[in-house]
Amino acid sequence: MKKVKDFITRDLTSVTGDTSLREVAELLSLRELIGIPVVNQENEVMGWISETDIIASIFPEKVKIENPDVIYLMNLSHVVKKLTQVGQAMVKDYMIKSVSCVKEDTPASDVVELMLHKDFKRVPVVRNKRLVGVVDRSSLSRILLEKGSID
Amino acid sequence: MIVTVTLSPAFDHLLFFPGISLGKLNRAISTLRMPGGKGINLASSLAVMGEEVVTTGFLGGQGSRMFEEALRKIGVTTSFTYIDQEIRTDFYIIEEKENRQSLLIEEGASIELRYLNSFKANFERLLPAAKLVEIGGSLPKGTTPDFIKELILYANEKKVKVVLNLRESILKECLDSASLFIVCPDLRETCCVFGEDLRNSASRPKAAQKLLNKGAEIVILKYGELGYFVAKKDETWEGEVEIEGSNVIMLGVRDGLLAGFIHNYMKTNKIGEALKFGLGAALSTSRSKMNYLNSKKQAEELCLMANVRKIA
Repeated sequence: MKKVKDFITRDLTSVTGDTSLREVAELLSLRELIGIPVVNQENEVMGWISETDIIASIFPEKVKIENPDVIYLMNLSHVVKKLTQVGQAMVKDYMIKSVSCVKEDTPASDVVELMLHKDFKRVPVVRNKRLVGVVDRSSLSRILLEKGSID
Repeated sequence: MIVTVTLSPAFDHLLFFPGISLGKLNRAISTLRMPGGKGINLASSLAVMGEEVVTTGFLGGQGSRMFEEALRKIGVTTSFTYIDQEIRTDFYIIEEKENRQSLLIEEGASIELRYLNSFKANFERLLPAAKLVEIGGSLPKGTTPDFIKELILYANEKKVKVVLNLRESILKECLDSASLFIVCPDLRETCCVFGEDLRNSASRPKAAQKLLNKGAEIVILKYGELGYFVAKKDETWEGEVEIEGSNVIMLGVRDGLLAGFIHNYMKTNKIGEALKFGLGAALSTSRSKMNYLNSKKQAEELCLMANVRKIA
């Protein structure tokens, strides 16, 4: 049976709760990532911050797009103000705290379930709570296609 | 877990030619491109030996993804700080008929303060799980030896062993105040350290003693192509192994020696055995086209060819 250790990406890219959203946005852009783990000083996973969380922090209210031009003008000053605030804001205020982690010996089938049922694209992998890597849908897909099965 | 630091990593791009005609068009008969830098090579060799190793430093640009993936493929965990500039490439021109190798080094990126701070924070987070930290290679623009001193201080505070593989000019700034496990001066461009010419066997103990007096627990000095002098407070060893054949690519060979030494010494606590295995690892690296050793098994076999003796 395939386990997480067979398709883990051993990358420790992460941020702490005190990192500004501006830094996270730059990091996600430079690394072409959609989200990264949030860790404490011991490298223990405390949460998850994604580009969706950052966008949601800028546009928290739902906007009706009946007339996009009017809405754009009406909200421009609000958006500029919000962008300034959000840039300085810290990850800990916007991260998802109830993050699901897996271990290196977690069966691949459990990861599939987690990704499909909870719609996760990347999941942190921990050992004794400490981050040791991530698993993502593309690695999982690759192993499924290569091996034809997760078992 | 072992952490290796390479502040200025680079792609090692090897271009093989029968010969080069300067000022004319030359077509390479083959090429190789791989992640490089002192700490990177060390991490690769350690990973091949089965060590759990995390490598860190600065990366950036389009090539970085390939750089990281190549490292992960051989079992190295990556934890780089990304900057908004492209990673550099070092070009190795190998002229097979002439048995000549030339190295062309690109200038590295300049690191902004915000990235330095981000790196330091990341480095500190790696320490709680680390048993040893190796810092090697050159300093990128925007950094000074004080930056290395800070990293050593963080590691010392967390009681993590520190290995330095740096040029003398940087080493001088980092010694005295720090507690260091292994000091292995980077002697690629010189055969002298602290005023002692290491080609002279009488000078080696003197050079080693100077480094031991400055707080190093173990000193490793290179005196020949694959000849090494290792000193501890109460014992000194010397050993060499012959490199066979022509067109041997020395890329990563010295890092292979250090990796082999660390890997073995952490298990045996015996200088002589560690030096012997290190020489085997170095020889295995010299037989590899990559900048890390072929295999641990080959290093174990080749170390039997090493001539290692206790000096004092």
